[in-house]
Formats: sequence, structure tokens, C-alpha cells
Amino acid sequence: MSDLIVGTATARGSSAVSIVRISGDNAAETASKIFFKKGLDLAGAEANKMYLGKIVAGIVSDKAFCMYCRAPKSYTGEDVVEFHLHGGRVVAEAVTEALMKLGARPAEPGEFTRRAYLNGKMSLSEAEGVEAMIAADSEAEAAAAYRALSGELDRTIRSVASLLVEAAAATDVALDYPDEMIEDTKPQIYDALSKAKSTLERVIGTETERKMTFDGISVVLAGLVNAGKSSLMNALCGADRAIVTEYAGTTRDVLRERLEINGVKVTLSDTAGIRENAEGAEKIGIERAEEAVRGADVVLFVMDGSVPECDEERALYNKVKTRAHIRVKNKGDLKDYPREADVTVSCLTGENIDKLRRLIAEKTGIRAMANPPLVRERQLFAAQGALRAVDEALDKLVSGTPDIVSHHIKEALALLAALTGDDAAESVVDEIFSRFCVGK
Amino acid sequence: MMKVYDAVVIGAGHAGAEAAHALAKLNKKTLLTTLSAEAVAFMACNPNIGGTAKGHLVKEIDALGGIMGEIADKATIQVRMLNRAGGEAVHSLRAQVDKNLYHRLMKERLEETPNLDVLETEITDILFEDGAVTGVTTAPGDVIKARAVVIATGVYLDSRIITGGYERKTGPAGFMRSETLGKKLAERGIAIRRFKTGTPMRVLAGSVDFDEMELQPGEEGLPTFSALTEGGVRNDCNCYLTYTNAETHRIILSNLDRAPLYNGNISGIGPRYCPSIETKVVRFKDKERHQIFVEPEGTDTREMYIQGMSTSLPFDVQEQMLHTVKGLTHAKITRYGYAIEYDCMDPKCLNAALGVKGFSGLYAAGQINGSSGYEEAAAQGLIAGINAARYLDGAEPVVLTRGAAYTGVLIDDLVTKGTEEPYRMMTSRAEYRLRLRQDNADIRLMDLAHSVGMSDEKRYVKYLKKKEEIAEIKALLPALRFTSDVVSGAGINPGDSQKTSFSATELIKMGVKIEQILLLAPELERFMTESVVTAVIDIKYAGYLEKEEKRVREEARLNGTKIPEDIDYSAVGGLRIEAREKLVAVRPMTVGQASRISGVNSADITVLLIYLKKFGTNK
Repeated sequence: MSDLIVGTATARGSSAVSIVRISGDNAAETASKIFFKKGLDLAGAEANKMYLGKIVAGIVSDKAFCMYCRAPKSYTGEDVVEFHLHGGRVVAEAVTEALMKLGARPAEPGEFTRRAYLNGKMSLSEAEGVEAMIAADSEAEAAAAYRALSGELDRTIRSVASLLVEAAAATDVALDYPDEMIEDTKPQIYDALSKAKSTLERVIGTETERKMTFDGISVVLAGLVNAGKSSLMNALCGADRAIVTEYAGTTRDVLRERLEINGVKVTLSDTAGIRENAEGAEKIGIERAEEAVRGADVVLFVMDGSVPECDEERALYNKVKTRAHIRVKNKGDLKDYPREADVTVSCLTGENIDKLRRLIAEKTGIRAMANPPLVRERQLFAAQGALRAVDEALDKLVSGTPDIVSHHIKEALALLAALTGDDAAESVVDEIFSRFCVGK
Repeated sequence: MMKVYDAVVIGAGHAGAEAAHALAKLNKKTLLTTLSAEAVAFMACNPNIGGTAKGHLVKEIDALGGIMGEIADKATIQVRMLNRAGGEAVHSLRAQVDKNLYHRLMKERLEETPNLDVLETEITDILFEDGAVTGVTTAPGDVIKARAVVIATGVYLDSRIITGGYERKTGPAGFMRSETLGKKLAERGIAIRRFKTGTPMRVLAGSVDFDEMELQPGEEGLPTFSALTEGGVRNDCNCYLTYTNAETHRIILSNLDRAPLYNGNISGIGPRYCPSIETKVVRFKDKERHQIFVEPEGTDTREMYIQGMSTSLPFDVQEQMLHTVKGLTHAKITRYGYAIEYDCMDPKCLNAALGVKGFSGLYAAGQINGSSGYEEAAAQGLIAGINAARYLDGAEPVVLTRGAAYTGVLIDDLVTKGTEEPYRMMTSRAEYRLRLRQDNADIRLMDLAHSVGMSDEKRYVKYLKKKEEIAEIKALLPALRFTSDVVSGAGINPGDSQKTSFSATELIKMGVKIEQILLLAPELERFMTESVVTAVIDIKYAGYLEKEEKRVREEARLNGTKIPEDIDYSAVGGLRIEAREKLVAVRPMTVGQASRISGVNSADITVLLIYLKKFGTNK
């Protein structure tokens, strides 16, 4: 009997495959709501076997492997399902989110391992190691939580919590002192809840804002071979990151670099240039490039301005133009053949590189954010849950009884208390006595 | 000849009475001692039992085989259901009780209880051998042997009564106080602190102008506290409502220099929820008036209780301010209000069974534990009595969880969080408020009561019947359908629904009241009303109850993981210093209890779990 937790087993970001796993009650039943293979009933299926099928998670629909490890023969000793997905954040994130919607909660740091230990899946000799790991985890966690909650975000979360405490006290005072509370506290409750709601919405932010904060924006350089993509990458990063030679097709694999634009994380990916008749490693590189373009938030379509436009370039542009993109004419310092472009740059002189940064910022909607959204999945989970509960409370304020209204407010408070570590119940009692004149 | 008992209960107030009764019921030869036989189950303050959260406690006491509910029903003179607008979960039964009758009936009941002796004497010390209780000493120096002792001394330890500049070294209402026992407890290393509380004046009914106040009659057709009560309760006395005014407040404020609470004469910590009138006026300056309830003290007395005017202001100021209040302008005071200061223990010295840590066989209940209120005391007394009996039997103690009962919340709050003021039970303290209702107290607790030997045949049979009926009703309701015509004909607004018919379950979820469901479905009449009530509320709250149930189950895993009493926290690697200190101070009985200590976080709990598992001290 343990609640369902979800976590990404592989490192975030650039990997060929990412693994999302769940552990706990109803793992197989939950998994079968997003993973489909004809004739397969996961819960009854042979365990420890990889099944190739289709994963459908929100807008994402992709091929994936799925493996079910039946309790107790699993890493944690509970029912575990692993999804082996295509790399990159998009699919893994969508799958995690879909699983959360189905009732899984984000695992705490090290929680899979802890469960493994507590369920007797690890030997006693490993105990010290686990303990050390947890201690380290909790310190890291505390430090991370402190960082996340220090400053602006901390104050915001606490202000929401105190609004909720106010609303809960205004609800509960009438329940604990029905004889004495003659004034109607409904307007006060409504007011506090509405304020809490709008602040929470601001804190949670939009999908885009969250992505920007969590993972950054993915910007992919694409273009024909020898268009100067790697030079442009180095120019944007301000460092020699990619190997640049005069030979066409130098870049084979996808190369990624992180940088910041307007304070927002951007993952810049340099890809193999596209050309017909490529073979071997270069051919694979091109396939990966095409895949990277498909996962990009913005594509920088790089053109070599020193050579005339060709059919191949036009054909490639037709593939790219359906996506958010910026046309960059490169080698502006050399010969200048006419092209339709959004910006002409020179990697050699650095001309217009800043302008390109600005264009990227505009294109992606990156702006300096007044309220940074929550930075960790657990915090997001808590804030989203709190928002849902506040909405319910507002609804029940009209159509329900105060005991139910209070139930929802406290649900929200408990979720936020997990972030602030405050004792919600005690604060409500304190608030009742500081605000209201009750008692015989 | 030396007296030998299985157990001695010190103090015969509301906690002591339940503790002694439970011990005797569990076949322990029990002695209940009291400083005065006239003080047995004495209601020193307000003449009522029940109310928000407290009514829930009384229902739980009844389900667990205690006696407060039974006696309260017999002594009731007016009854109301509070919180009708708040939702079914917080409906709270409150009874005005004839306080002399309550005392007499309870005394009689204890005197008639087999295995139980009541003795008027003062206990001055508790005797131990190797950390285990061996008996008590009386003031004249006699030793009474017993292997278990429950301390239920209320506010009588080193108490002091204060009115203005006048003070008396007595217990409440002039009863004798205990001067020695508290000192002995302190000498044995138990942390003692000073709390205060207070009571308002009483006035003579003949001097009150009732027609100038708002009438508050009782309500008919209400359930009773006890499942054993038949034929309802007496309900023919009235309460009255009036208000203070600007002149009352002026008098209070201009005499603050003579108020012991404000001139430094009282240092004890008073309860926020039971403020004196002077505190209310000072703290809530903007409030133009405060409610005053005038309540009968009983049927054999003409005294009325002035609820809302608890005070320790001097006698002349009490007269002056009282006479500014409408209806009380020439009220004759029969007893003045006073504040009382007393010694009590820091409840963190208790374990979750209400045993005093480090002393085998020693239990404590009621105001000595820092609580306040008759009902809170009785609930603790019952659990302390049961656990003292189980100690004598070598059985595992009964620990009610927060998900099982208000009694569990009360004890867990006291022993885990401690309290900085006299602790009052409030519904807001219960995180499972929709589940912990008065209508289902028996459903929640009677299996336990039965298994520990506290339930009697009559109650248990009734409980089994109710349980069966609830299941039957829950199966029946979804199948009962009514056309929208019938529904609107019964005065129910079906809302904007386009449906042509509704099932009873749907109507309940739409918020239709139990009485209306009963009108629509006469087939429900063959069931006991309490069965219908619980079934309907369960259906109405189904989604919420499931959520609470899930949290309760999660908590149960931690609550089921015991921590050995002799655990050495310094050997648990990886605990943070703060957590280690808190754990050493509280010494929780289970990991669940540990998780509720403020300053102990989830990583600490994991470290603790791993430690317990590693050393095989836990299954």
C-alpha cells in the first residue's frame, strides 16, 4: 500500500533515450491509460519484458518501449512501470505530466531508492550508503528549497498561505463559535480566496513561462552544409564550442550548448548540415538534425550569403518554415548574394549578433519575468493543486456548506505548507483568536 | 490494615470519574480519591456539556463505554444543535445541564459501580520502586498500595483564586486545594507550569429582567449524547441573550489598574478562547458590544450563569459593569467572578497512551495535562483509565489516531505539540473533520471499545444493528427514484437540471436535507433515524470521505511503525540536530507521532525508518 510516484530516471536534457518510471499502487493500470499496444493488457502481461507500443500523453503521441516489473520483483519492491522514450525534454515532460494527471505525484529526491530500501530490496550493508545519500539529498533539497523559496517567490507563497489562513479562520470561526459569530464572514472569505487565486495563477505562470524557467527554450540551428552554423553557434555562445573547419559536413552529431538570453535559459543546438547523398555517420547526423528541428521552439535557418540561393536551400526552407523560425543570412562580411532574410550577420566581425539575440528573444516570447514561475516540479505540483482547491472552495462558497469550503481551503494550505514547512492547522487557530472576539 | 488496590485515581472531577469507572469496568479493584465528596464531577464553571467539538467528544466517550453522555442526558434541562448552517460534519449537540443534579447522579453512579471505592482523602505523594508505581501516601501518612495511578487533579494543585486585590489559597468554588502533591511531582523531575482560567459571576434569577433579553429556547427532536438514553431528555428551561454596551466598556477600561490580569498580579497563562471580559474589551476595542448569555445553573437553584463575563475585576467593578447590561440592571450577584491560577504538567512529558514517561504505571488526565473543559478532561480520563487497566494486564495501550477520533486529535496535540495555554478542543484542530462526526462516533469506535472490553451488551447490539441498517440504506438509496414532479412537489428545487427523474442519491448530493428525503421515501421509516442520518451524510460527503480515508491510510502506515522506548537517538545517523533534540524531548511512540513534531521533516522520518528497519526493531 503506497501512493504512486513518478520520476525521470535519466538526466534531463540531451540524451538519446529518456526513461520515466512510476512506482506504487496501480502502476500498471495507470500506465495502461497512456501506453497502448494491440492485444496487450499490461497488468496481466509478462513482467520484465519490453513492449514496443504507442504512448499518448497530452499532445504528444510517439513510439515508446514500456516495461512492467511486478511487485516484489522490481527495483523498489513495488509495482513499477518504466517508459523508455525518445530523448529530449518534450516527450518525457508530457508523459510525466499525463501521469501526474492520473494521480501520480512527483517523487521526492531519492524516493525510489528509499522505497527500495524500506521494502527490503537492498542488503543491510547498503544501508549506510543509502542513509548518506538521503542525508546528502535532504541537504541538497534543503539548499534547493531555500534558494527556490528565498526572496520573491518565498514571499509570494507565504502571502498566498496567509490569505488562505485568513480565509480558513474566517470560515472556521463560525464553525467553532456558531453562537458568537453573528457577523457574516462570507465577503471576507471570498475576498481572501480571490486574491489567493490570482496570485497562484501568477506564480504558476503560463506553459511557456514555465518551460522557460524549467528547461529553457530550445533553439536549433539548421541549414545546408557549410552554411556556417557552427560559426554562428560559437558567435552566439561567445566561445569556440563547435569545431569549425572549411570542410563541408564537419558537424556530424547534434551539439548542444546552454546560454542565457534576457536571463532565460536557452539550449542552442548545432546540427549537421543537410545534403543529399550523405553516407554513414553523416547520414545519421542528418536524420538527427531533422529530429532536432522537429523538437525546436525556434529554428534559426542559416544561409550562406556568399553563394547564390539554390533549389536545395529552398526545399529545406519549405520544411522549416512551418515552424517558428528566423532566417539568418550568414557570412555577411563576404560576398553578398541577395536573399530574403530577417537578419544578416557576420560571425567573423560579430556584426548583428546582438540583433539576432534580440530577435530570438522576441520570437520566443522571452521577456524579463516579473514573477518567476515555480522552479521545481514538486512546487509546481503543490501550487497547481492549491489552485484547484482554491477554485473548489470558491465554488462551494456559493453552492456548499462551510465545512466543505473549509475542507478545500485547508487542502490548499496543506499543499503550500509542504513548501513553507509551516504548521497550517496551528496558524488557523492562531488567526481565529487574533482576529475574532470569540470565547466565553 | 493497609489498603491494597489495583489502581488509585487521584481526583474525582470529570477526568477522574471516567478513569475510575473505566478501570473498574475492566475489572480492576479501583480507589477514587477526592479532596471533597461534594466536589465529585463538579461543574465549576459553565452549566453545559457539549457544543462544537466538545459534543463530538461526548459522543466518542459514549461509544467507548464512558459515562459522561449518559449522566449528561439525565441531567439535561435544555438542548440545542449548534452549527446547523455549518454542514453536517460540524453539527454539535449542546445541553444545558443541572449542575447539582449532574454531580449527584455521577457520584451515585460511581458509588454503585462494582470494583470501585470512592474515598474522601488527600493524596500527598506517589510511591515508586525501580521506576514503577507501588502506591500513594495520604495526608495523614497512610500508604495505599496500587500498581497503577491516574493523576486527575484538575486545577487543585497549589491553586489560587483572585478577584481584584483579594485572593484566597483554595481550589475552585472554595473547595480545599492540594499543596503537597504538585511539589512532589516536581521533585521527581516532572516539568510543572502555571496556567490560569476564570469564571464569571452568578446572579439570582429573581433579580433579572428576562423580558428585556432575547429568549433562547431549546430544540425538540434532537438525538441524545448516549446511545443508552431512551425517550429523549428534559428540555423545558430557557437561556437568554443580552449585550454589553459602551458604558460597560468604559467602566472596565477605567478600572484596568485594579484588574489582576493587567496590573501584574496574575502571571499564569490564560486561554485565548476563554478570554475575560476585560481582555475582550482591551483586545477588541472596535467592537461595540459583546454577547452575554444568561443560563440557568439548574432546577434546584435560582442561580443563573452569566456566560461572557468571566472576570477577575474587583467586586465593586463587577457590580457596576453588570448593572449596565440590559436585563441585568439590578441583578443580585450570588457569586463573584474570579480568576484561578494552578499548577499543571507540560503534557510533552506524556506518551500517547497518557502515561507519564519514565514512570511505569503512572497516567494523567484532564487539566493537569494542560487541557481545559469538562469534555476534554473526561475523554482523557477514559483513555488514561483504559490504558492504566491495560498496563496492569500487560496489554498494549489503546492509542486513538487523529483519523479515528477527536479524542485522538486532543491527546496527540497535547503530547506531541504540547500547549502554551489551557487547551480547548476545536473542530478546526481536526484535519479529518468530515469523517469525525458525532453521528458516526459509534461506527468509528465501537469495534475498538468491544475489543478492549469497554462496550456493554446493549450499546453493542444497537451498534451492530445500526451498522447493518446503514449498509442496507446505502444499497437502497440509489435505487429509489422520484420524478421531477414529485421532487418539486416536495418543495425541492431541482435546479436547472433537465432530468425527468432523480435517484435519492442524486438528491442527497444536490444538498437535499435528510428530513426531505424522509418525506419522499417513507420506506426509510423502518430504519432507526440515526442509521438514516449517517447513511445520508456518508453519501453526501462520499468524495471527500474517500480523500480523507486515503490520507488516514497513508498515516496509518507510519502510525503502525513503533519506536522502541529505549531508542538512542544519538545513534541514529543522519538526523538533523534540531530533529534529534525534538525527538529526544517528545520521545514519540510511533513514527507517525514523530512525523507530527514540528521541526522534524520528511528526510528525518526516512532516516528514522531506515534506522528502525536496519536494527530489526520494527516489523
